[in-house]
Amino acid sequence: MGDIRQSLLPRDVLSAAKELLYHLDIYICNLVQSGRQPPQVDSKTQELVEEFILHAPKDRNTPARRMSAIQELQLLEIMCSCFQEQSRDTVRQLMFSALFSLQGNQADESRMALLGKLVSMAIAFGRVPILECAASWLQRTHRVYCVRLAQVLVDDYCSMVPGSGPTLQNIHSASPRFCCQFITAVTTLYDLTTEELTPPLELLQMIVSWIQDDPRLVLINFLNTPLSGNQPISSLDVTPLGGLMRWCVKAPLAYRRDKKQALTNGTTESEPEVGPLFSALHLSVLQVLMLLPNILNEKGLFGRLALLQMECLASLSSDLSRLLDQADKHTHASSADSRVLSQLALERLAQALQVAMANGALLCSREDLRTICSRLPHNNLLQLVLSGPVMYYNNIHTPPLAFSPHAAHSPIASHPTHPAHTPLPTHPSSHPQYPTQPFMTGMPFPFRPSH
Amino acid sequence: MSAQKDCEFLVKRARELVSDDPCAAKAWLITARTLYPADFNIQYEMYIIERNAERTASAGRLLYDMFINFPDQPIVWREISVITAALRSDSQDKHAQFLRGLFETLPGRVQCEMLLKATEQCFNTLEKAEMLLLLLKRFPESVVQHGVNLGETLLEAEASENVETPVNCFRKLFVCDVLPLVINNMDMRLPASLMQKYMLKAAEFYIGYVTRGPSADVQIQGSQEGGSLKSPTVSRGSQRYVIDGLTEKSSVVAEPWERLLDILAVVGARCEWQGEKGQRSYVDMMQRVKELCRYLPGLEGDTRSRCCSQVVICAALVLFRSAFLYVSSVQPALFQGVNALSSGPWILVEDLSLVYNDVEVERGATKHAHKKRKLADGREKAMSSDEEEGLGKGRGRHILVNKTEMPSWSETLESFRTARESWDLLHSHDGLETEFKKICASWKTDSWLWFRIFLSDMIIYQGQYRKALSSLHQMAAVQQPQPGQQSPSGQGSLEHHRAFIQQASCHYALGEYRMACEKLLDVVGGLMPPTQEPTKSPEDWGRVKTKTRKGNDLRLLPCTSKAVLPFCFQLMLACFKLRTFTDSRDDLSLGHVVVLLQHDWPQGEILFLKAVDKICQQGGFQYENFFNYVTNIDMLEEFAYLRTPEGGRIQLELLPNQGMLIKNPSPALGVELNTLLLQGVQTMDRHHTVTRGITKGVKEDFRLAMERQVSRCGENLFSVLHRFCINEKIMIIQSLP
Repeated sequence: MGDIRQSLLPRDVLSAAKELLYHLDIYICNLVQSGRQPPQVDSKTQELVEEFILHAPKDRNTPARRMSAIQELQLLEIMCSCFQEQSRDTVRQLMFSALFSLQGNQADESRMALLGKLVSMAIAFGRVPILECAASWLQRTHRVYCVRLAQVLVDDYCSMVPGSGPTLQNIHSASPRFCCQFITAVTTLYDLTTEELTPPLELLQMIVSWIQDDPRLVLINFLNTPLSGNQPISSLDVTPLGGLMRWCVKAPLAYRRDKKQALTNGTTESEPEVGPLFSALHLSVLQVLMLLPNILNEKGLFGRLALLQMECLASLSSDLSRLLDQADKHTHASSADSRVLSQLALERLAQALQVAMANGALLCSREDLRTICSRLPHNNLLQLVLSGPVMYYNNIHTPPLAFSPHAAHSPIASHPTHPAHTPLPTHPSSHPQYPTQPFMTGMPFPFRPSH
Repeated sequence: MSAQKDCEFLVKRARELVSDDPCAAKAWLITARTLYPADFNIQYEMYIIERNAERTASAGRLLYDMFINFPDQPIVWREISVITAALRSDSQDKHAQFLRGLFETLPGRVQCEMLLKATEQCFNTLEKAEMLLLLLKRFPESVVQHGVNLGETLLEAEASENVETPVNCFRKLFVCDVLPLVINNMDMRLPASLMQKYMLKAAEFYIGYVTRGPSADVQIQGSQEGGSLKSPTVSRGSQRYVIDGLTEKSSVVAEPWERLLDILAVVGARCEWQGEKGQRSYVDMMQRVKELCRYLPGLEGDTRSRCCSQVVICAALVLFRSAFLYVSSVQPALFQGVNALSSGPWILVEDLSLVYNDVEVERGATKHAHKKRKLADGREKAMSSDEEEGLGKGRGRHILVNKTEMPSWSETLESFRTARESWDLLHSHDGLETEFKKICASWKTDSWLWFRIFLSDMIIYQGQYRKALSSLHQMAAVQQPQPGQQSPSGQGSLEHHRAFIQQASCHYALGEYRMACEKLLDVVGGLMPPTQEPTKSPEDWGRVKTKTRKGNDLRLLPCTSKAVLPFCFQLMLACFKLRTFTDSRDDLSLGHVVVLLQHDWPQGEILFLKAVDKICQQGGFQYENFFNYVTNIDMLEEFAYLRTPEGGRIQLELLPNQGMLIKNPSPALGVELNTLLLQGVQTMDRHHTVTRGITKGVKEDFRLAMERQVSRCGENLFSVLHRFCINEKIMIIQSLP
């Protein structure tokens, strides 16, 4: 493929890029047909891509060829239709990799720039194949670059062009996989540490409505990925659960800070209250967690795969403790209002920890929880979660239940569907396949139509 | 901290939050449930949130969880009973609809279990049955197990609750809901005897329902739901009907006769009846039964008894349906739902419109008249029943009816005919009759007033007047102790008189004139004469078909004073007519005849002339009531003429207390009268006394009376004749044998 360089050189930038794309397509088709494993694009081809499509300088002597904005737009259109018309998934994926897989060289900057423009365009025109490729890209690529791509998209759709939100809104139906990855990237990007790292309201509303409409969206990447274990360590989380949890827990305190700044700046923004949004989002997160036991059991991963990492929660806990300290310092007379917000943050953390643990998303003991939450101030619910349920259950409303001896030591002792123990003799034994209702509207009975 | 305290704390926090931040409340409860999955209150609280927000799917899911996990919680059962109550009710309010929707989200198996368990917990038979019925309707496979038991339970309940009528809530449920499920379930094999028993239960219910009397008062079951309070204003016109224990909506049975036919078709098919395929009407059924009847004597054993049952059941249904149709048009006010205002009651009586015919014509014409002549000859004799048999047995008796006043006359008469036919059929074999009598006995048809009305009319039609009289007496007995049956149309008294008028007609037909007149005059005494003069409209059917008619026709007479009074006049005339025109002299009867002949004048002209002939032959006539009741100008003129020499100087003793016959009346009187007539009516205020010089005075009195009478000829003839009936009642009755 390297020999076509000579024929490309005399051409103008656009036609050279077009020609290269054409040859690349043929080359990859042959590659796939030859059945060589793994199908990999050789370095010569990579260089051609960098030279004629990304226009990275080949060496210090030759000046980089540049494209005009119009030419670039034309190239993007050509790429768009190229991906759109390619009917074979493998070829399309390889092509996308050949163009946008990061190589750790100078060309990566141009690569990222072009990728951002291409994905942005694909969102605008609803080019599903490109979004699917981008979803895979987001799965493979180092989170730093994923976050950069997300940043570009948020800028394009939420900041630069007001009113273009609805276009972004559609990705949820166009490519749920991409949407899911996008949410993960966005929650990674906005960690609520500073005002800049607070998601725009429009984006927040969008994410809340996506997840409310279909809580499974959060898990779609996890559901579709064969967990081979070769997930790059530095890539994005498989699900946005951790990021969303961080949002919900920190939001009461982070937004209080924002409000205070807004007040000192004298700006009276009539923005709608974000409280209800986070409350709904938090509920959605818990509901998604409630879906996990079935999925994990089906995959045979219950108790073996932690969707939420302890480190992630430990850092959330320490973030929270720092925020609470700050809040205490700022509000000299800690007002009732701020106490309520602090308690809300602690309660959300407690709820998330408890529900995650009970549903097998978090693999740890209560002891571990007590460790990571040791610096947090007192909260009744958190206390309850950290100490765990009283085991010798003696409620007047229900007969005492027989617990298996090891139930108390099980990290997920209180979940009813866990196969290790059966706290409810009637329920799991007679209907083991039915999850308990996670308060989800419109969630059908899984057993109704099929049985 | 105890587990219970933990749970209380968690639920309490959720409750505090639910109004301001429902999402947070739910988050608390989800957390709580993962901590204490066996705690009922946490799940109940979750359910309550969804239920109160009327989120069908999630509430249904939570209810399901509770039903599975906490099957012994009373609160769950209370909730389930609320839902099943909504399922049973016909309420359209939003919450009831939500609850029904909630139930629908549950998996069928759970619905089934829920209904069964709810049924077990129910102690009220009716509720229990309704609940089980919900189950049977939803899960046809459960019919095999529960269908017959439910049916029997309902029938037992009906028996043990001592309900007064077959139209009760238990029977309604059995017949309309359970029975169709049971008989249409092909997985079940029921013995034919049971099927027939059920068939008869259904028939009794539907007949009872169709023939139910109008409710005395509108019953509103206030306890059912608030919504029903709005409807009375809407449905004030139509009468509402509520079966005790049911809602108004479920008390309605649409097209009862058709439903009955449906059941009959299924039962017939399953009992292997002859030719029970595809017959979709009562007419078809009657046809089939008639054919079967012909083969019946040749059959034996099982085939015969099966055929017998088929004939009896089918013929009985045709009989009751046709009889109902007939009675509903003859006496509509008896029934709820039949429009009573459109047409009043009708009475089947002897047709007497030929009464004005010449006696000679009549004498030669019919047996009936022949009989009258025998009686007229003075040989009074009680008729034996054998003789009576012969009276009207001629099958082709005509029933005359005013077609404009009864637009549905042809259907009515057709129903009457079909009913009679099926009755005859049921009595054509001993076997059939025995079976039919069993049905009648179990249904207590003797107490059915409406059926008694049909039977009486049928017996009258058959000419068995003695039997008819006893039937009518029974009817009066049934009718008396039911004050609630008062018709709302105000015709109550007349309707009540219906039986008396019919009795009078029967007595007349039996030649018992005195009884006939006595009964009729009792009725007439209570009537108000119509203010309008009888008009001789073209619909006056009297003369229409005179030639083809025989003397033993019947007539359906509207039960109004406008129609009853003329009938009364005709009947009295008929009673006196034959008696009068014999060789012996009976001035009183002759006088009554003259008075009565005024009605419908000049219909009776021939008879009047005959009477005048008789007076001339007698050479004299004494009738002191003459001036009280004769206002017909033609007649007055004729009588005035009789006194003249040209008229034959007839001695007329027409004034009250006239001691002797007047001879030599003034020849000038006729002329005078003519002058008077020309002058028209003048008010004459002169009094005469009985103490005057006899000859001269009497002459003068007659003249004056005549003058005064002429002034009265504008009087309402109905009033005059009505007065005659009332004032002279005793004399009229006494002058009859």
